[in-house]
Amino acid sequence: MKESVFIVHRSEIIRKGLSLILQEYFKMEITQLTTASDLSSFTGITNSIMILMLDAQAEINQKAIDLLKKNNEVALVAICQDEEEAHQAPVFDYQLTLYASPVQIQKLIQIIRQSGGKPKNAMVENGELTSREKEVIKLIALGLANKEIADKLFISIHTVISHRKNLTEKLGIKSISGLTVYAIMNNLLDIQDINPEELI
Amino acid sequence: MELFRKEDKMSSLINRNYNLLPVINRFGIRLGFKEKTIGEVCQEKQINTDFFLAIVNTYTDDSYFPEAEFLSFSPILLIDYLKNTHKYYIQYVLPKIERLLNEVLESCTDNCSSLKMINSFYQKYKAELLLHLKLEDEKVFPYIIELYKNKKLSAEGSFIEVIENEHTNVEVKLSDLENLIIRHLSPNYDDNAMNEFLTALLQFENDLNDHARIEDHILITQVIEFEKELKK
Ligand SMILES: [Fe+2]
Ligand SMILES: [Fe+2]
Repeated sequence: MKESVFIVHRSEIIRKGLSLILQEYFKMEITQLTTASDLSSFTGITNSIMILMLDAQAEINQKAIDLLKKNNEVALVAICQDEEEAHQAPVFDYQLTLYASPVQIQKLIQIIRQSGGKPKNAMVENGELTSREKEVIKLIALGLANKEIADKLFISIHTVISHRKNLTEKLGIKSISGLTVYAIMNNLLDIQDINPEELI
Repeated sequence: MELFRKEDKMSSLINRNYNLLPVINRFGIRLGFKEKTIGEVCQEKQINTDFFLAIVNTYTDDSYFPEAEFLSFSPILLIDYLKNTHKYYIQYVLPKIERLLNEVLESCTDNCSSLKMINSFYQKYKAELLLHLKLEDEKVFPYIIELYKNKKLSAEGSFIEVIENEHTNVEVKLSDLENLIIRHLSPNYDDNAMNEFLTALLQFENDLNDHARIEDHILITQVIEFEKELKK
């Protein structure tokens, strides 16, 4: 998935400083904004991991964030003055204080990347498949490759791959034959549709 | 956990970890140790004591894996142990798991189609695993033994690199099988029968992971190094 990083802070020293530190360790594209209201012009972004680092003391522009969350994996990081303020920033997924060491900053980015930008309370937990995911699992079971699935559902290969990743995470099943068994057990697919000799 | 040493009583091994029962059998050691120490029993049976200790300790402590020590043992020693393990899987564990699965199937009275799917999935897994064990027994191990005997590269090329990939595939299938049962299958079966089947399956998974770890990290590493040297 594509990744975009936003640093939103009224202090130029903090914006530029944080941006420099990040670029020292990671190859990433960083957009610097003075206020969160400017986020509204980026709501067209889709299928990305978005790391939004925001001033914990300023307005956060919830409307733009909600729009971005619809089509992206959004990780909200609070930029806090100190530990105490960090505890008071519950709307954020992660906290970063101004006194964080470079190692802590690196770790934070790694954790966000590993979780695919998903905060800990993500919806993975309830395990329900979305209707799109059900279509994808059906096509996987029928033996279609990623490219064919993408063409059939008019989505990009990237999106197919991310659906597959989510399916594996939600169901705990990785192999094609395992997913096929799941699909048949849950009536997403009729056993007549597949050649059991071949897939199972 | 504390590691076993050669001064420890052989009986304390089983007292502390009964999962080691089949492991000591693979070395030809049987119960009835009296007061003998690990070192004494190994000497009696002409088993390399350090190798024995490395295996039982790896098996007992998940975080213990003395890579450097393992690499110092002869691949022939490793292969001997690995082959015995294969025999144990093929002749004992897989038939047992299958018998337990059949008992689960027999305990199902209605709506058994999902359980039958699980059974087909298991059969697929088993077939794949047996194929892998066969490849190792009939091609890979003999190749390695020849390689060390002749100290010359084979004209047919090496079998080594395919194994690691196969391990991953087999491991994924087994974990899928477990998750299908634990998370997704509606329980139309006798609980005790299923518990016995699952317990056997999970125990097998542990054993198999240790086995693959020794093959991937020790045997294959040794052979690749040796091949490199021969190419010089
Ligand atoms: Fe093996
Ligand atoms: Fe193997």
